[in-house]
This record gives sequence, structure tokens and C-alpha cells, in this order.
Amino acid sequence: MATTATPETLPAHDDAHDLHSHADHKPPFFQRWFMSTNHKDIGTLYLIFAIFAGVVGGAISGIMRAELAEPGIQYLGWWTTFLGGDGANFDETLHLWNVLISAHGLIMVFFMVMPAVIGGFGNWFVPIMIGAPDMAFPRMNNISFWLTFVAFCSLMISAFVPGGTGNGAGTGWTVYAPLSTSGSPGPSVNFAIFALHLAGASSIMGAINFITTIFNMRAPGMTLHKMPLFVWSVLVTAFLLLLALPVLAAAITMLLTDRNFGTTFFDPAGGGDPILYQHLFWFFGHPEVYIMILPGFGIISQIVSTFSRKPVFGYLGMAYAMVAIGVVGFIVWAHHMYTVGLSVNEKMYFTAATMVIAVPTGIKIFSWIATMWGGSLEFKSPMWWALGFIFLFTVGGVTGVVLANGGIDDNLHDTYYVVAHFHYVLSLGAVTALFAGWWYWFPKMFGKMHSEFLSKLQFIVFFVGVNTLFFPMHFLGMQGMPRRYPDYTPAYTLWNEIATRGYEIMAISIVIFFINVFYSLIAGKKAAPNYWGEGATTLEWTLSSPPPFHQFETLPVIDDKAGAH
Amino acid sequence: MSTADATVSGDNPAPKSNLRVGMFALGIAVAMLGLGYASVPLYRIFCQVTGLGGTTQRVDEAQAATVQAATGKMITVRFDANTDPGLPWEFRPERPKQKVTIGQRDMATFVARNDSDKPVTGTATFNVTPTQAGIYFNKIQCFCFTQQTLKPGQEMRMPVLFYIDPEYLNDPDTKDVGAVTLSYTFYESADS
Amino acid sequence: MGIRRTVQYIAGAATTLALLPQAALAAVATTEAPVAEATEAAAEAAGGYVPMAPTDGKGMPVDGGVWFQDQYSPIGDYGAWMHDALLMPLITVISLFVLLLLLWVMVRYRRGKNPNPSKTSHNTLIEVIWTGVPVLILLGIAVPSIDLLAKQYESPPEDALTVKVNGYQWYWGYEYPDNGGFEVISNMLPEEEAIARGEPAQLAVDNRMVVPAGVPIRIQTIGMDVIHSFAVPSLWFKLDAVPGRLNEKALFIKEPGVYYGQCSELCGVRHGYMPITVEALPKEQFEAWVLEQGGELAGADEAAEAPAAAEEGDAEVTTEGEEPAAADVTTA
Repeated sequence: MATTATPETLPAHDDAHDLHSHADHKPPFFQRWFMSTNHKDIGTLYLIFAIFAGVVGGAISGIMRAELAEPGIQYLGWWTTFLGGDGANFDETLHLWNVLISAHGLIMVFFMVMPAVIGGFGNWFVPIMIGAPDMAFPRMNNISFWLTFVAFCSLMISAFVPGGTGNGAGTGWTVYAPLSTSGSPGPSVNFAIFALHLAGASSIMGAINFITTIFNMRAPGMTLHKMPLFVWSVLVTAFLLLLALPVLAAAITMLLTDRNFGTTFFDPAGGGDPILYQHLFWFFGHPEVYIMILPGFGIISQIVSTFSRKPVFGYLGMAYAMVAIGVVGFIVWAHHMYTVGLSVNEKMYFTAATMVIAVPTGIKIFSWIATMWGGSLEFKSPMWWALGFIFLFTVGGVTGVVLANGGIDDNLHDTYYVVAHFHYVLSLGAVTALFAGWWYWFPKMFGKMHSEFLSKLQFIVFFVGVNTLFFPMHFLGMQGMPRRYPDYTPAYTLWNEIATRGYEIMAISIVIFFINVFYSLIAGKKAAPNYWGEGATTLEWTLSSPPPFHQFETLPVIDDKAGAH
Repeated sequence: MSTADATVSGDNPAPKSNLRVGMFALGIAVAMLGLGYASVPLYRIFCQVTGLGGTTQRVDEAQAATVQAATGKMITVRFDANTDPGLPWEFRPERPKQKVTIGQRDMATFVARNDSDKPVTGTATFNVTPTQAGIYFNKIQCFCFTQQTLKPGQEMRMPVLFYIDPEYLNDPDTKDVGAVTLSYTFYESADS
Repeated sequence: MGIRRTVQYIAGAATTLALLPQAALAAVATTEAPVAEATEAAAEAAGGYVPMAPTDGKGMPVDGGVWFQDQYSPIGDYGAWMHDALLMPLITVISLFVLLLLLWVMVRYRRGKNPNPSKTSHNTLIEVIWTGVPVLILLGIAVPSIDLLAKQYESPPEDALTVKVNGYQWYWGYEYPDNGGFEVISNMLPEEEAIARGEPAQLAVDNRMVVPAGVPIRIQTIGMDVIHSFAVPSLWFKLDAVPGRLNEKALFIKEPGVYYGQCSELCGVRHGYMPITVEALPKEQFEAWVLEQGGELAGADEAAEAPAAAEEGDAEVTTEGEEPAAADVTTA
């Protein structure tokens, strides 16, 4: 990247506008939002979609928490009537529970977190941060988004067609065979699998797009080692997607043929092995959790650096820690399968390999703190969220070290301890990072300042809520309460009730979120190009808020001395 | 990474080099997809070679003849029989366990009876526990190698001819194992 | 096996009834009474096995509990020790350490206090330390962790009692191959029934898995339809029951008692309604129970069979090389 771009080297545009007025020329509404090839518009679509899916997935968990507030089955029967049940069939009621847990998992993973962090923030800010005018394949970008949308529709359809005992797919988000094959007659699971196919295809296209954009379209002087850490995180994530999702696609395609065309890939009756499905699923599934959290790492790095007015400490260590997490993430999958009957050697290997991940993760945590060390910290709302993230992610991380031990997992596997662990890293980790990024970039994306007060209030309520919600789950899990149960023995009542109260508090924080969003969009002050001040050094802060429809028609040249990160 | 790549604008066709990187990435995805499917035979081969999951070994007479029997060490082999609920058979080992000499071939007999009023064909899956013993458990002959058809009400004695490799005694993972269990599950054949 | 199927049918029907609320109660009273009476009569005739009353807080979760259930197996003791003495203090210290560092930088380096940020962005020594120290800590964890795994995988001795745990949708079957191969079908008790018997709701079952205490047990699990998981938290035991594939693990229960567990792998509609109740008895009482179930004692069985087995083994050696073809013995 030794050359400097000048406007003359830019390709000519096929419309009649000159370069200056072209920057803000927006296509008509339908073309702009339904046939969009603009990375910012597609990013916005992804964010709106993710918020919608998050509300659906969150509402589902609300039904679950309400049901679990006390022993016995209280509300599920009523809810079955919405999926075509009569509300009186007990088995149908229980089936609804399984549909809810499956839908909650699938929606939150594939239709909330992934579209938000990768499709939303990734699309919006990766091209800007590397000084590119757009993504490498803008039309494919559009296809990616609409595939996600259709995938979501397919998942919704699955809830209203027969899936065995009642309507909907009640297989868990893991879709384990043989429960998902011989154990779930009816078309519902087919629709759910199809949804995964489409979402997977969409993500693979997105990954190809990001990789090409980041490798090929960086502005002059923007070397790989100068890229902001958020770009690094998306690059690593894109490679994880590229390597992991096709394996899931293969596995669920085999499920589909096992279900519908009489193959026996995972059916012992024909010489298949249900354990192989679990190996394939988790070969995808474990990298998947890093796919969800790595972009969050990137967002937090940007925020911590901005509000410390200091470059990220140990930039290279941070970047390569993410690479290391990505690489090691591919060789630890069977720690999700400690109880399936692994041999002692397998279990020892996966225990040791899993613990290795704690090292690069620790590097990240300590580097964030070191970034703040000696800095000049300003506690704007994104910084609150980022500090909350660092602590909550640490708590979620250390319980991961506990679960990594195959011998300890024998007790905790498939209990609420595991639920607590992965919600601490994902719900309290990835989602906190999402909110951090949202309030960090909201004025940049929409041109209006948000209310700092409401954002901080939301953080406090959210922090109290999610901790009340998820911390007691550690207790429940250690006491032995299994996951995916609609009912429990009365001894578990106390902490379940408290968890449900925590959900209610958390729900209030989401209301505050929406109030803040609508307030800001309607009445927010106009945002300056760099509203966070001198700590914000990446390229998005050199543009107006919101950035012009087409940015960097003259490519920025990255000075050798100034670190972009 | 040439200048042209860096200056591509959103609504223009991607230049060749973008396409090259994109195709490269797509190639990775396709390769992983292929690996996903290839994992089915690879997993089977891996299990057969390493005995993973308690996969037993299949040997022919010639191989079996080369094994030295002179260990004098005995081990208990347990037999376990299961029937898929969809298969109207009763299936059980003739004896729940027997003592065998390591390195020496032995025979176990399983009995299956068709309780339905029509002929039914079944196939059996199998493994041994503890799983680390799978690599040393050699079957020379087994009813599980082929499908079995039982006429209505027919009862059949089905033999397994096997031996345990003397290497079993040298492996730290197996030498202290109290008893090895050979387990079968009969399923109705898809094509019966 | 006709009897087994009948038992399963009755058991399945009972569960269905049990799961339908109040209306079922009357039905249960009428249809189940003969069965119950029959069992009771049999029990009296053979010496009277009475299900042990559970001890409050032993082998079951306690109200508002925040820690592991008390452990009643050596592996449980080891695992709980490792968690309580090693992992838990460690993760608490790490979390507090991170929290304190965060609070410290928040106070010390706030803009009001420190208006001019330093430009330090590298310090090789500190980076080496925070890479190296976690590695050492993890090595410290790995040693006992690997040892714990090795202990968990120690194979049960040859003469250990074998209990085969069959996972069905949605109940458990406990088979005793060393004792004549009978199978106990175990369904969840309806809530009222459980409470009436002084047992925790959602955890109590009609027929328990009865085992001897103080002796090694070989647990073998297999799934009959989908994957289930046999789990008893107070015994630190969890093993999946996978269709078409037998799993095995040793279990040692230190003292008599009733230990509750639940299916721990999503297995369909009534996944939450197939609990596990393990009743550990002194060896003599266990043997009495076996006889009551119409089973036989392992020792007697073996004494009778050992010579026969040896003879047959010899016979086979002599006929070595012959193709042992599948032979019809009877045609019923």
C-alpha cells in the first residue's frame, strides 16, 4: 500500500452527478432500503432487524422466566393456544417449552447477536475504519441481509407447523440427533434446519465480503498492523465463520436427509452415530461462541482507548490474542460433550486445550486495564458499558475455567451453572458490548446525540437486572437443577423466583433503551463529527455524523506516525 | 493489494483482484463443507483404526492365526444385548459373562427370537466398554457383520467368534480394566 | 418379552394418568390398586422391602441452596474438594483482582485527577508476566484436574455389581444382568403421591434403582430411543445414555441413603419428568431386595456357571476353525 490515491484514480460513476453532489445522493426509498448496496444502509437494516429479533427472543425468555418463577406449570398451557394447541393437552404444553428454549437460543445466536455485531456494526464501521468507500461486494452484502431475514421467517414458520407432539421444533438450539430426526416427526424441524441453512449461507457470504474488503480495500498506509482492533476482530470472526459454518451446514444437511430421505448418517440403525453429529455441531458451535464475542472485544477496545485518551495497550498482543482465541477455539469443541462417553484420553486432552483459551482471554482483560492505566478516563456512557463488560466477562470467563475441567463438568454439565456461565459471557458479555457499541456509535450512525443520562440509567438497571437474573443460576446449577426443564422440585424455588425478578428489572432497562433511542432520534441534538473528543482517533471520527452516503471518494492517507488504533 | 483495489467504489463491479480474494475465501468455505461431509467416512475410519468409542476390530482368520495365545491371563467378558423398541424381537446373550484367556479365541452366543407374525430383518450395532478396550477386541466372526432375518416366531442362536489382543495387557489404559463388556443393539433394517 | 412390554405399557399408562391433573387421581386409585397390592403382597411374602424414607437434605437439593449437594461418593468428595479448595478460591480472587484493578484505575486515572494521559502502549515485561502467570496457574489446575479425570475413569473391578440403565422416552429402566437380568421400570410419582410418601416432588419415582452401598458398582447406560443422561448430583455422576452405544462408568456410594437425580439431556416432551431415585442399601438388604424382585444373587450364579463356562470354552477351542454358523434351536 505504498501508493497514494487521488480522485483521478477513482472509477467514474455512471450517473450524471459530479463527485461532490454524488456523495449525498440517496436513491428513492424502496431502492434505498430493499435493494441497498450501501454498507451503512445495510448495517442499519441489520441493526433494526437485530433489535426486532432481540425483542422476540427476549420476550420468549420472558415467558420462560414467568413459567419458572414458581414450581408447577402455570402459563404454558395458555401459550400453546397461540401455536394452534388447545391449552389442555399436557404433553403439548411441555412441547411448547422445548419450542421456546430452542427458539430463544436460535434467535439470540443467529438473529440477534450475529446480525448486530457482524452485520450491523461490522458493515457500518469496517469499511469506514479502513478508509474504504464500501464493502467489496455490495450486492452480495444486500443478499446476505435478506437471506437472514428469510431465515428468520423460516424459523417463525417452524413454530406454527407440526413438530411432533405439538407445533414447533422442540429440539434445543443444538438440534441433536436422534431427537431431531426420529424423535421429531412433522415438518417443523425441517423449517428450523432450513432457517439455519439460510442464516449460515448469509453469514458465509458476509464473511467472504469482510475478508475481501479488509484484505483488498484498505486506504493507502492502512497496513494490517495499523487497523483498528475492531477491524481485526471482524477479520478473525470472518475467518471463524468461513471455517465453522460450512461444517454446520454439512451436519444439518445430513440431519435433513436423515429426516426426509432415509439416510442414516446419525442413525445407529443404519450404522450411523449420533455422537458424530455432536462432534460436527460443536466443531461449529464452539467457534460460534467466539464469533459472537470477538467483535465485542473489538468494540470494547475502541471504547476503552477513546475514553482513556490513550492508544490501546499492547496492540499487537491484543490483535494476536484474538487470532489465538480463534485458532484454539477450533480444537476444544468436545468440552461440550464431556458426558457422552469420551475416553479418558480425549477428556484429558480437551480439558487441557480448553484451559489454554484462558491465556489469550486474560491478555485481553489485562490489556484493557493497562490501556486505562495512566490514561485520562472520561466516564461517558459507552465507557460505563465497557467497564461493565470487562467485569462481567471476567466473571463469565472464570466459571468457564471451572467448567473446562472434565471432572468437575461431570457434576455441572447440563445444569443451570452452564446456563449462568454462557449467559455471563454472551448475555452479559456480548450484549453489554452491543449496547456499548450502540451508544458509542449511535450519534455517528444517526446524526443525533443520545441522552447520556438515559444510557447510564439503562446501564445501571441492566447491570442490576442481569446479575439478579443470572447470578443465582450458579447456585441452582451447583444444587443440580438441570437445564431445559419447565418445572422443578420446590427446593429450587427461591433462586428461580429471584432470577425472574431479575428478568423484570432487565426488561425495564430495555424500555429505557427504547425511550432513549426514540427520544434521541426525535429530539436529540445534532451530533458533531467527533463528539467524543480527542481520544477518538479512528477514521469514522473524521467524517460527519452521519457520514455522507458515499464516503472517502478521496481516499484518506494514513500517516505512518499516527497509530490508527 | 494494488491501488485499484483500494479505490473501488460501492456501485461499480468489483475488480478482478477482489474477485480473486473472494473466490479464495469461497474456496475455503467449500473446502470446509466438503470436510464436513468427509467427516462421516473419516470418523468411521478413525474409530475403526483407533478403537474410539469402543469400536471393535474386525480380523480375518489369517490375522487371527498369527496371535499368540500364551498369556495365560484371564479376563471377564460381559455380554449385553439391546433391542430397539421398533424391532419386535427378543434378544439376549446366552450368558451374561464369561471368562476368557487373553489372546485366545473364544465364542459367545446370543439368542434372538422374532415375536411378531411376519419375517423381520435386523442389523446390530455394537461397541465395547470401557471404550479404550475397543482397539484390542477382535472379532473373527459376528452376526453383526451381516443382516439377520428371522421368520415369525423363529429363534436363532447367533455366535460371535472373538479374541482379545495380548497387547491389551501392555496398555496402561486397559491393563487394570476389570471386565470388558461387548454390547449389541438390534435395529430393524431399513430395507426389510 | 411379553412381560417386559406389559410392564412398560402399564408404566407408561400410569405416567400418562399421573401427568393429567386431578381427574387422574381417581383413575389411578382404581387401575393401579391391583398392581400395587400385588407388589405389596409379593414384598411381604419375600421379606418385605419397604422403600427407604429419604433423609432431609441428603441426596437432594435443599431449599435456597447455593452450593454443591453433599457428596456421597469418593469421586464426589474429590471433585467437590477440587472445586471448593482450588477452583472457587482461585476464580474469586481473580474476579476480585480484576474488579479492584478496574476500581483503582477508575479512581486514580479519572480525567479530573489525571488530565494528561501517558502515551505508554507497550511494556514487554508486564506482557510477559500476564501471559506467564496465567499459564502457571492453569498448570496448577491441570495437575489435580487430570488426576481427578484419571480417578473417574478407573474401571470397576471384575466382580462389581452391574446395573444397566436404559433410558426411554420418558422413564428409566434399571436392569440387573448379574442378578438374572430383571428390569425395574421407574416412572415419576405424581406430586401428591410423592408428598404423601414424604419425598420431594418432581424427584420421586415409583420404583427405585436399588443398589448396595459401600461396594463398587458398574453403571452401564444406553438410550433406547433418543439420547438421555443419567445424572445424580450428590454422587457426582453423569453419563449419557446414547442409542446404539453402551457407556460405562464406575460408581461407589459410601453409605446407605436415597439419592435423587434427573435426566440431563434434552430428550423430548417429558424430559423434565423422568427423575432418578437411587436407593443404596447395605449389601444384605440389597440381596433381599434382589430376591424379592425374582432375581438371583450374583455369587450363586457365578459358582454354578464358572465350571460350565470353562468346559464350553475348551470345547470351542477344539472346534476352532469351524465356521460357527447361526443355528436354529427352536421354532416356537
